[in-house]
Amino acid sequence: MLSYILRRVMHGVVSIIGASMLIFVISRMSGDPIVLLLPVDAPQSAIDAMRETMGLDRPIWMQYLIFAGKALTGDFGNSYRWQMPALNLVLDRLPATIELALSALLFSIMLAVPLGVLSAVNRGGWIDTVGKGFAMLGQAMPGFWVGLLLILVFSVHLNWLPAFGAGGVSHIILPAIALGWYPVAAQTRIIRSAMLDVLDSDYIRMGRALGAPERLLVWKYAFRNAAVPLVTVLGVYFASMLGGAFVVEVIFAWPGLGRTVVEAVFARDFPVVQAGVLFTSVLFVVSNLLVDLSYGLIDPRIRHG
Amino acid sequence: MKSRTMFMALSLALSPAPALAQATGSLTVAFGAEGTTLDPTKYSAGVDHYFIGQMFEQLIRYDTDLKPVNWLAEKWELQQQDGKAVIDIYLRPGVKFHNGDPMSSADFEFCYERLKDPKVSRWSHLQANVEKFEVIDDLHFKIHFKSPDGDYIAGALQLWALPKKYFEKVGEDGFAKAPVGTGPWKFVSRSVKEELKLEAFDGYWNKDARPGVKDLTIKIIPEDLTRVAAFKSGAVDWIDNVPPSMVAEFKKLPGVKTFTAISGNNLYIDFPTYNPASPFNKLKVRQAVAQAVDMDAIIKSVLFGQGERYAEVGKGSTGYNADLKPYAYNPKAAKQLLAEAGYPSGFETPCYNLTTPREPNVKEMGEAVFAYLGQVGIRCKAQGLEYGAWINLGRRGRSGPPEMDGVLMWMWSQGLPGDPATPWGGHLHSFVAGKGWGSYSYTDDKQADSMIEQLKGTMEQPRREELIRQIAQYKHENVLGGITTYRPVITLAWRDKVEFKPWPFPGAWRGFQEISLKK
Amino acid sequence: MVDVDASYAEIARRPSQIVMRRLFGSGIPWWSLLIFSLVVVAAIGGDNITPHDPNGLDLGSAFKPPSWLEGGSIDYLLGTDNLGRDIFSRIMAGASVTLTVAIYAIVISGGIGALIGMVSGYFGGVVDTIIMRVVDIQMSIPSLALALVIATVLSPSLTTVIVVISITYWTWYARIIRGEILSLKERDYVALAKVAGCSTATIFVRHLLPNILNTLLVLASLQVGQVIIFEASLSFLGLGIQSPDVSWGLMLADARNYIGNAWWAITLPGVAIMLTCLSANLIGDWLRDTLDPKRRQL
Repeated sequence: MLSYILRRVMHGVVSIIGASMLIFVISRMSGDPIVLLLPVDAPQSAIDAMRETMGLDRPIWMQYLIFAGKALTGDFGNSYRWQMPALNLVLDRLPATIELALSALLFSIMLAVPLGVLSAVNRGGWIDTVGKGFAMLGQAMPGFWVGLLLILVFSVHLNWLPAFGAGGVSHIILPAIALGWYPVAAQTRIIRSAMLDVLDSDYIRMGRALGAPERLLVWKYAFRNAAVPLVTVLGVYFASMLGGAFVVEVIFAWPGLGRTVVEAVFARDFPVVQAGVLFTSVLFVVSNLLVDLSYGLIDPRIRHG
Repeated sequence: MKSRTMFMALSLALSPAPALAQATGSLTVAFGAEGTTLDPTKYSAGVDHYFIGQMFEQLIRYDTDLKPVNWLAEKWELQQQDGKAVIDIYLRPGVKFHNGDPMSSADFEFCYERLKDPKVSRWSHLQANVEKFEVIDDLHFKIHFKSPDGDYIAGALQLWALPKKYFEKVGEDGFAKAPVGTGPWKFVSRSVKEELKLEAFDGYWNKDARPGVKDLTIKIIPEDLTRVAAFKSGAVDWIDNVPPSMVAEFKKLPGVKTFTAISGNNLYIDFPTYNPASPFNKLKVRQAVAQAVDMDAIIKSVLFGQGERYAEVGKGSTGYNADLKPYAYNPKAAKQLLAEAGYPSGFETPCYNLTTPREPNVKEMGEAVFAYLGQVGIRCKAQGLEYGAWINLGRRGRSGPPEMDGVLMWMWSQGLPGDPATPWGGHLHSFVAGKGWGSYSYTDDKQADSMIEQLKGTMEQPRREELIRQIAQYKHENVLGGITTYRPVITLAWRDKVEFKPWPFPGAWRGFQEISLKK
Repeated sequence: MVDVDASYAEIARRPSQIVMRRLFGSGIPWWSLLIFSLVVVAAIGGDNITPHDPNGLDLGSAFKPPSWLEGGSIDYLLGTDNLGRDIFSRIMAGASVTLTVAIYAIVISGGIGALIGMVSGYFGGVVDTIIMRVVDIQMSIPSLALALVIATVLSPSLTTVIVVISITYWTWYARIIRGEILSLKERDYVALAKVAGCSTATIFVRHLLPNILNTLLVLASLQVGQVIIFEASLSFLGLGIQSPDVSWGLMLADARNYIGNAWWAITLPGVAIMLTCLSANLIGDWLRDTLDPKRRQL
C-alpha cells in the first residue's frame, strides 16, 4: 500500500511538472506582453529595456529553468500587470474558488441523492422521468447562461439574492447553482444504478421478506451501500467544478482563481497564468489521488498491484 | 479663475460650516474596471488613475469645467533661461501627507527621479527632455529642459506628490502595501479584483472640496449586468459605466441621479496610407471611406446614443475647432470617389476589429462599420482580435509578421480634458524606428511630421492651440492618421441620498473629491 | 461476467444484426431524434434556407421582438438583435457552425484519442507509461485554461476552436479505449491472431477496432453536448468563433450587452443550445443503454 501511494505521488509530481512546462511554453507563444504593458507611445529602447528586466530576452528553456528554480523557493515572480507577487494573487484567490467549488458540489449532491434514490425506488414512475429530465436539463445548458438568467430573474427582477461577489451564504447560492447543476445528471445516474443493484441484492430482499419497513430499507441499508460509488468519484467532480468555475466566476464577479487566470491569459500576464494553473493542477492531482486511494480504503478487494 | 471662485462658493454653501467638516457615515460604490497599481510612478494605463487619483495629487488639475487650476502648486510659470525652457513652481504651503509629514519640494524631486527610472516607471521617456530638477527651497523648485517639451504641459506637469521620507522608511514593498499621499482619501485596505477600502483624510488641505463620508468601499464588478444588479438591489449606491443599453432606463429611475460625460478615449478607423501598394494610399479612397459610414446611425443604434462624434479634436479638448465638421454620410459620393480612384467595382480588403470590450459595444461598432463599407464596394474580410492580439498587430516595427494591411478599428485616449499632441505623435507622425514617433502610425507625410514636431517643441499654451488647429485642418482635409469616428460617453449613477460632484481628472470622473450623504 | 463476455462475442460475430435489433427495440427517443434532425437540416441548408442574411445589418429594425409579441412581425420570427439581424436566421446559421465544430472536433479527438489509446493499451510497457503520463499531465491542467491559452496562440477562428477542442478531449478517448484494449488483448482470439502471425495492423483493424466501435460511438454521442457547451464558453469569453461566423455561444456573448432591452436575444440562442444538447445527450444515453451491455458509467 505504501509503495502504491508513493508511486501515485510520484506520478502526481511528474504531472504537475509537465503541466507547468506545457503552460510555460504555450503561454509564451501567445504574444508579446511588453507592448501591452508600456504606454502606446513608448520608444523601442524602453521596450527592449523592459524585455531585459523581465528576462524575456533569454532562450525559453533558460527562462523555464529560472522560473522552476525560483518556484521551488516559493517565488513565482511578479505579476506583469499587477506588479505584485503572482503567488500572493493566486493564494488570495484560491480559497474563494475552493469555497465555490465545494458549494456547487454540495448543491449537486443535495439534488442528485434524493433524485437518484427516489427514481430507483420508483423506477419508471413519474418521479423517475421528471427527475431525469431536470437533471439532464442542467447538463444541456452552459453554466454562464444559467448564471445570466439567474441574475436576471433573482437579482434584477425579484431582488431576492445578490448578484456579485463573496460574503455570506446568500452570495454563493446563485453561482453554486450555475456551476453545480451540470453534474447532477451524471451523479443521479450513479446513485440510481447503484441503488438498483443494491435493492436487488439478497439482503434487502431478505429484509423485505422479514417485513422491515421499506423506508428504513431504502434509506438506511440500501442507500448506505449505494453511496459508495458516488463518494469515490467526488474528487473527480470537485476537480471538474474547479475547471468550470472559470466562466461562472467571470459572470458573478466571484473573487476566485478562475477569473484571475482568465484575465491573466488575455493580459499575457505569464507569471499569474503559470502560478494559477499550477495551483489548480495541484488541486486536480491531489483530489484525483484521494479518489484512487479511497477506492482501496472503501473496497479492499481492489488491489493496488 | 472666475468659474473657480463661483464653484468654491457653491461648495461652501453645501457644507454649512467648515469647522463641522468631520466626515461621517459609509458608502459602497462599484467600478467596472480596476486600477492595477496604487503607486503613481508605476501606473501603466488610464484606469490606474481611478484608484491613484483618490489618494494622490498633482501640481495642477482640471476642475469640473475642464479648466486647469493650480492644485498642489500655488503658482507656476514657464520661463526662459539661457534660451532654454524652465518651469518654475511654488508649492502650496501647509499640505500634509496621510502620515502627517509635510509636503515639500524634495517629494517632487523624488517623484521625478522615480519617473525617470525605467526600472520603476513605464513613462521614463516622458522625462527624457528634462535636464535637471533644481530644488530652491522646501516650497520652491524648477524643472530645467534640454529641449522644449509640449507633452509636459499637456500632461498636467507629470509629477505627483510622493512621500519621500515615508518611502525611505518603509521601502518599495511597504509603500505598495500601504500607500500614502496627500489626497482626500487615506488607504485602508485592498483586495485585488474585489475591493479597495478608503477613509476620509481629516488633515486634508482643501477645506472647500473634500468628502463628507468617512468610509468608502470601492467594489470591482466587471460584468455589466452584475454591476447593475448590485446597484438596483441596493448593495452599492454608486456605479460607473452604466451599460449604454440601460442609460435611458437609468435616467428615468426614481431616486437615482445620473451624470453623463465623455470618457477621454478617442476612436478612429485607420488604414495603411503609407503603403503605395495599398488602395488607401489614394486620397480619394480615404475620402470615400470617410463618407461611406453612417456614424450617426451607428452611434444611435449600436451605442444607444452613448457616443459623441468628433472631427480630429473633441469638444473641450486643447485646440478644439467648432468649425471643423466630420465628413457627412454620403454613399453615392463615396462610390463616385472609388470609381475615380480606379475602383469602379470596389475592392476586397482585410478588416481588423477589436472584440475585447475596452469600450462598450466596440465589437458591434466595428461590425457595423464593415457592413457600411461593404455597401459602397469596400468588401471586408473581417477578422476579430482580442486586445492582446490587436495591440500586437497594430504596433509598427515589430520583428515579425503579419503587417497590418487593411482597415483597422483603433482607439487612442487623448485623456481629459483632452490634448491630441501625444496621440498624434503616435499615429499621425510617420513611424521612425527607435525614436518613439509613429509607434502605431500608418501615415507617412512630411508636412504632418514637421507640424507635429513643431507642436512637440512648443510649451506656450496659446501657441500650442493654434498649431493643433492647423494640424487638425490638414489631417482632416488629407484624411491622414485615420478617420475619427466618436468619443465614448460614460454614465455614472448614484442614489439620490448621495451628494456627488464628478471631478474629471485624474480618474475620468470617478474622483471622489466631493461625495457625501444627505442628512 | 459470463454474460458480458457472451454479449461481446455476440457483437463481435454479427455486430450489425445485434445493433439493429437493439436500436429498434424500445425506448427510442423520438423527440430528441426529431429535434436533432431539425438542427442537422438547418445546418446543411445553411445560408440557402435562412429567411434573411444572418449577417445582414439593418440598424432601422434593431430590437424587433419575436413575432408572437406586440410589435413583432412575422418577417422576423424570433425577433432581431441590436444590429437588426434576424435571430431566427442567425440561429440557423449558428446550427451549421455548431455542428461543424462538434463533428470535426469529435472525429479528430476521437480518432487520435482512440489510436493512441489502442497503441498504449496494446503495446504496454514504456510506450504505455509515456502516453499515460502525457495524458495525466494534460488532464491535470483545467481544460478551459489550456484551451484559452492555446486559442490566444493560434488567434481565434473556427479552425482554432476545432483544434482547441480536439486537444482538450483526445485524452478522454485515449484513457477509456486503452482500458478496453487492456482487457481485449487478453482474449483468446487476439492471442490466436498473434500466434497465427497476423501483422499488428491487421490485429488493430480486424480484431480490436470492431470491438471498440460501440464504445467509441457511445463516447462520441455523449460528447456532442459537451463540445457544444465548450464551444459556447470559449465564444462567450471571446476566444471562440469570430464574426462574420455565427455561433450560439457568440450570440449569447453579444446579447449580454443589452440584456435589458431584448430578453429574446439572450434567451433564444441559449434555448437552441439547450434543446440541441438535451437531444444529443438523450440520444447518447439511449445508444449507451442499447450498445453498452455492461452499463458502465462512460
